[in-house]
Amino acid sequence: MSLLEGLRFSRGDSPLHELDPRVKFLMILVLFTVAILFTALQPLIFIFIIQIPLVAVARIHREWLKTLKGGLFMALIIFASNLVSFYFFGGRHLTYQNVEYALTLTVRFLVLITSFSIFFLTTSPDKLSLALEKARIPFEFNFAFITAIRFVPVLADEAQSIMDAQRSRGLELDKGNFISRIRKYIPILLPLIINSIRRSLELAEAMESRAFGASEERTNLFDLKLGSSDIAVLAISLMGLAAFVYVRFFLPAFGPLLPPGQIL
Amino acid sequence: MGFIEVRGLSYSYPNAKKPALAGVDLSIDRGEFILLTGPSGCGKTTFCRTLNGLIPHFYSGSLDGEITVAGMDIREHSTSDLAQHVGLIFQNPDNQIFALTVEKDVAFGLENLGHDRDKMIEEIDWAMEQTGIGHLRQRATHELSGGQKQRLAIASILAMRPEVVVLDEPTSFLDPLGAERIFKVMDALNKDYGMTVILVEHRVDLAAQYVDRVIVFDEGRVVNDGPPSEIFMLDDTRLAGIGIPKIVELYKRLNSRGVDLGGPPISPGEFVSKMEGKLPSGPIELPPRPSNRELDEFVGVYRSNPVIEARDVHFSYPSGVQALKGVTLNIHKGEFVAIMGENGAGKTTLVKHFNGLLRPNSGNVLVNGADISKQSVASLARSVGLVFQNADDQLFSENVREEIGFALRNFGFESDAIVKRVDWALNLLDIDRYRDSSPFILSGGERKRVALASVLAWDPDIVVLDEPTIGQDYSQKERLSHFLMQLRTQGKTTIIVTHDVEFVAETKPRIVLMADGRVIADGSSKEIMTDSDALSKASVSPPEITKAFGALSGRGLPGDVLDVDEAFDVLSRLLEVGG
Repeated sequence: MSLLEGLRFSRGDSPLHELDPRVKFLMILVLFTVAILFTALQPLIFIFIIQIPLVAVARIHREWLKTLKGGLFMALIIFASNLVSFYFFGGRHLTYQNVEYALTLTVRFLVLITSFSIFFLTTSPDKLSLALEKARIPFEFNFAFITAIRFVPVLADEAQSIMDAQRSRGLELDKGNFISRIRKYIPILLPLIINSIRRSLELAEAMESRAFGASEERTNLFDLKLGSSDIAVLAISLMGLAAFVYVRFFLPAFGPLLPPGQIL
Repeated sequence: MGFIEVRGLSYSYPNAKKPALAGVDLSIDRGEFILLTGPSGCGKTTFCRTLNGLIPHFYSGSLDGEITVAGMDIREHSTSDLAQHVGLIFQNPDNQIFALTVEKDVAFGLENLGHDRDKMIEEIDWAMEQTGIGHLRQRATHELSGGQKQRLAIASILAMRPEVVVLDEPTSFLDPLGAERIFKVMDALNKDYGMTVILVEHRVDLAAQYVDRVIVFDEGRVVNDGPPSEIFMLDDTRLAGIGIPKIVELYKRLNSRGVDLGGPPISPGEFVSKMEGKLPSGPIELPPRPSNRELDEFVGVYRSNPVIEARDVHFSYPSGVQALKGVTLNIHKGEFVAIMGENGAGKTTLVKHFNGLLRPNSGNVLVNGADISKQSVASLARSVGLVFQNADDQLFSENVREEIGFALRNFGFESDAIVKRVDWALNLLDIDRYRDSSPFILSGGERKRVALASVLAWDPDIVVLDEPTIGQDYSQKERLSHFLMQLRTQGKTTIIVTHDVEFVAETKPRIVLMADGRVIADGSSKEIMTDSDALSKASVSPPEITKAFGALSGRGLPGDVLDVDEAFDVLSRLLEVGG
């Protein structure tokens, strides 16, 4: 699950945290597009390298490393499955070019999870919802999104309490064969579901008591305004995109890094 | 005409056999501070729901009679209109916080109403100041303590500037100081801004000191209504279900013996000032007490035989929170122990070590002399029965019989033994008539008893109850206290984790006080309840009677009096001598 670590907001006050979420999203989108655009190893390594200072500025290196560690297994699968399919579908031989291509796809994967991490680790859900609101997403969806995030820790606590209560009554989750183990989750899932229904009723009552849906023109305590640094980042991102597109489509393609030749 | 006018109000929930409200007549003026009380299921919560129109707009069912709030008929106005006049605050703070940061949550109602930003900031500042959470403005809501969350819930309602605030058992999950803080916040709002406050509470001892009117509900009706000094003096059997403040009870008993204090006191302070006039002027010498050894004095006999030993136990959760920082504690066979302390002190974490749900990071826990590290939860649970706070976290079966048999099947009892033990447990907790009912249709108190029965069924030697009195009314607590007495006479070791000082004053266990992951005091109820330093460190305030006697101890009276019986005993001996 540590792959998901990179999706959890980590509080901070770095320039990246302060960036307008819309601009930040655009910046991440540029990195994302560029990573998809190229199929050569050099530009992908280059993008990976320019992400590192971003991680450093945001001071999220610890969470990012955890994410990479969590993604390592996935990366190995991508690398190995490519080699295996090259070997079996390419006439039972493997070249250095095949290895380079598999490596390229793996680095692309790392670039993608890094850009996701940078965005989600530095963007508070509140800001994200504000951005969604600005994008004219109906408030009901927005509210559902925030509520889901809000109740993750609450439900996790509740699941733990239920497990504790049932284990205290002699329930042994790790004993028995596969089928009987699944059956053992019934005493845990049922209270969890019933409590969630009860909770949702209480939530609805509390929402009503706070005049939910009272006004057509719902306001927001916070507003998003583009500052000068937001505009600068926006400009850099767009120029970067233009430069990469130029390199990809108007310059000769990158040659292979590894020499030609057969391994197997 | 009052701000809230209620005439012949009756209501039944959809599919309910009995009406929840059966003809309520009430008139409530602006600026009143009201305690609304009554036994569980008396209709208090239902009544609150009518005040902002949750009934009939959110809950269908049949509503008869009249109810107007600020001149508005609740049937003709939506809940969001009414919510601007009547703010409802519920028991569980977690289920009324919507935003991820404190400030944003306070803004939620104002955003819904479409206020502009400057107005919002002004109202938020005011609401946070009133509730004392200004310093938490930027914090994430899930990081707050229970008391802070509840004050946030109040601030979020206050920001909408309602004329009436209704709090439905707001302090159930809070430690005593947290609860007192809530009452003080509401008191200040009532005094400074003339806000009308309606407080629904089971803890009458503390609440009665703040209010100027008490309304008692029973079976969907108002059965008593008046100032606290009158209501609690009534010899009405209909008061039996709610209990009366201990100070008033003491006054009543003294009064019946001809001691005239001139009108009932409600707070310990009032009692002290009334009592001082009655005390002899010179130094007081109390005649020796007739020998009358209480049960807790016999407990010393068992002291040689520890059944639970914790040795320098340290424990941290994976999140990094250090919950236990070196706890050493022995609990002996047959003892009755209460673990007290503020929320987050590590009480529940500690008891989860007793049946192996948690294992120490360092240090040892021994149960019946054997280290828990080599034993599974299931094998430890055979001798340590843990009953959790919220019964709903464990009920899942089709009927009560199955629910109680669940653990017995897990432990591999024979089927006829299971039948016998289930019957035994059903009788023990007096729930035999529900044997074939679904546990989900039972009331909160009954569900709690099913959960208790489902653990006692396998007859563990050590019984641990986490917050057994939460959400329980006066008579349910009485029943629980008798039941605990019964367990003790069977020689069981009983451990409760609790915030309820009045319950502790009545049952007098050995008290282990915890604060910040450590045991800070350990001793008899009398020792601990008079140790004001340790109590304040643990966010526990002494029982009301003890507060009064603490103040009188300067005059030579004993300061370690915990309950009404003892207080009456001391004072009647003294006044006979003095008179």
